[in-house]
Amino acid sequence: MSKGLILAASVAVVFSTLPALAATDASLQSLRAEIQAMKQVYERKIDRLEKKVANLEAIQSQTAGKATAIEPTSNNLITSPATSKRRVNDNIFNPEIGIILQGQYQSFSERTGEFSGFAVGEEAERGNEGFAIDETELNFSANIDDKFRGNATIALHEHGDEIEVEIEEVYIEATSLPYGLHAKAGRFFSELGYLNSHHAHADDFADRSLPNRAFLDSNYGDDGLQVSVVLPTDLYAEIGGGVYRGDDFPGGGAAGNDIGSWTAYGRLGGDIGDKTSWRLGLSTLQSDNATRSANEGEVSFAGDSSLYIVDTRVVHSPTGNNAEREILFQAEYFHRDEEGVYDVGNGAINYDDGQNGWYAQGVYKFLSQWRAGTRVSQLYAGDVPVGLIGTALDDQGHDAWAVSAMVDWTHSEFSRLRFQFSHEELRDGQRDNQLILQYVVSLGAHGAHPF
Amino acid sequence: MALVGACTTLPTVAHAQLNVFACEPEWAALASVIGGELTNVKSATNAYQDAHRIRAKPSLLAAMRKADIVFCSGAGLELGWLPILIRKAGGRDVQPGAIGWIMASDHIAKLEIMDKVDRSMGDVHPEGNPHVHLDPRNISVIAHVLNERLSAIDPDNRHTYDKNFALFSRKWDSKIEQWQAQAAPLEGRQVVVYHKAWMYLLNWLGMTVVATLEPKPGLPPTASHLEKTLRQLKSKEILAVLVAPYENEKPATWLASKANLPVLKLPYTVGGSDEAVDLVSLFDETITRLVKEK
Repeated sequence: MSKGLILAASVAVVFSTLPALAATDASLQSLRAEIQAMKQVYERKIDRLEKKVANLEAIQSQTAGKATAIEPTSNNLITSPATSKRRVNDNIFNPEIGIILQGQYQSFSERTGEFSGFAVGEEAERGNEGFAIDETELNFSANIDDKFRGNATIALHEHGDEIEVEIEEVYIEATSLPYGLHAKAGRFFSELGYLNSHHAHADDFADRSLPNRAFLDSNYGDDGLQVSVVLPTDLYAEIGGGVYRGDDFPGGGAAGNDIGSWTAYGRLGGDIGDKTSWRLGLSTLQSDNATRSANEGEVSFAGDSSLYIVDTRVVHSPTGNNAEREILFQAEYFHRDEEGVYDVGNGAINYDDGQNGWYAQGVYKFLSQWRAGTRVSQLYAGDVPVGLIGTALDDQGHDAWAVSAMVDWTHSEFSRLRFQFSHEELRDGQRDNQLILQYVVSLGAHGAHPF
Repeated sequence: MALVGACTTLPTVAHAQLNVFACEPEWAALASVIGGELTNVKSATNAYQDAHRIRAKPSLLAAMRKADIVFCSGAGLELGWLPILIRKAGGRDVQPGAIGWIMASDHIAKLEIMDKVDRSMGDVHPEGNPHVHLDPRNISVIAHVLNERLSAIDPDNRHTYDKNFALFSRKWDSKIEQWQAQAAPLEGRQVVVYHKAWMYLLNWLGMTVVATLEPKPGLPPTASHLEKTLRQLKSKEILAVLVAPYENEKPATWLASKANLPVLKLPYTVGGSDEAVDLVSLFDETITRLVKEK
């Protein structure tokens, strides 16, 4: 086409659109606004996509080297990441290590704090007066492999002049068994009532209740195997039991390959609404043919001992937030039948009777870091045979009892200071007023506490 | 959607639902969306409880016993109670690292990862801030992970999970755009918080924390710390003092009245207010209430 024709065509196009031009100023503005809006939408979309990509890249670098999540395997051995950014030392597989430090200042009004009606173990006695450190607990725990977990708690403490290294608990657990099964083997505090399986440093009071001290020497911890099953019910239901060597109080003198002691227990638990949880348990500890030494060797028992415990624990939060406000109620009732012979140094005396004991405690968290509690406990010794009248097993008509009140300040979950006042009447005429100021702290790894 | 579901399952034998043990309500809500009728979801905690400090109570043991999936935040948030439940009552498939064990914070880029930690710093999480649910972009990523896991555990129903995820994802993406547009004026604003549980929300919206009521993480506010904080706030332009349903209002109210700031109670998670009944309404209400304060 000739240049002139093109020029004419373009001029024609321009002139044909001229009348529309005036009206398009407004539409130009709206066009501009539309483009601007579109631009903003797309900018935001791009921004989002960029952030998504950044997220995914971060995930990739974080999870590089971890076992792929989708693989249906329970093999979760840690593998070192492929990148060179991270230095891995041999100690990366070190166990979780925690240390519990405890100490107290105690003041008693009575010179001695001996039980009457019961021959007790070392851990049942009251502590030392004045400033004293209590047990230092070293705890190591770790997964052994994908099927087992190990835990060792070693306590260091002084009895008189001697420093004792005590193996409190050293056990392995099978953690990934099916059907709600759980197994523990080694030395451990048996599931018996409520308090027995807990370490004393986690208690709500500076000392254990009278029945826990008298019947279980504070913690019954023996060498053995314990198996439990959590049942697939709506209400929490657990049954379990264990077989043990039979060396720890109230057992003793295990020899040969007999099962010296065995335990069995059943528990139920649940919620009432959103604010209350409860637990109820029934347990027994049977020690056959025990030869038990008590009262620092002055009293010995040989025979069968059957202990039965009913325990309950209720936790209620008035606000529904346990971290802010909480009320705990806990109680255990003990009954022990003993059939055998007691020897207080004058020869064996036949004994066949039962003893009872119970405690009940309430603790109120009235501020998020402050709690106040009170506990009452009582013991009922058996009828003493003629040959044991006037000995440690003779309660002389007096049922031992104690009442305690405490206030504690828990600044963080790792430190606690407690002030406790107790009135104990363990023997006729013995009225002991006790003042205890205590600290309990944990360094390093600190496992979760059960309910 | 329910009708379609019925049509596809009628001819086959009805099979058991997957039991999901969700540690917090936000994950329970997400599991309900992606799993739908095929899952039976239980939340271990509610919006009025502090997830750091929960008791490993009997009802949780019973729930863990039946769990096929454990779906939690991770990064140490549930360290005080979850391990006991898993060890005592959890089966093979919900042990750490197993196919049914899902820790949300493992799958997103965490804020505040700490190199050096010491208990004198308070109750800090060295792995990073675990309160990851309040950034909806994190929810997108975690929803995808959940979809993949559900499909791997229950391959027969993969198409249902995929469908639920696709539906959710489409709606969620468009809602994120809407929220970002709505929240644009919040960028650069500052807030006072009780505990750093809001970091992912604030990071998403371009907002910052100017002070925390806790002197250190995990410790309750003290009078001296509140006084010091009050002095610091004098010259700043702050939107509000944020309070979650499980946090004690009194320190926030005190500071807000002295500093002439509004107290803004946000739902924080599903169930934290009457309006926040699911993840969408949680963010709807959160954004709306934040924007209203400006």
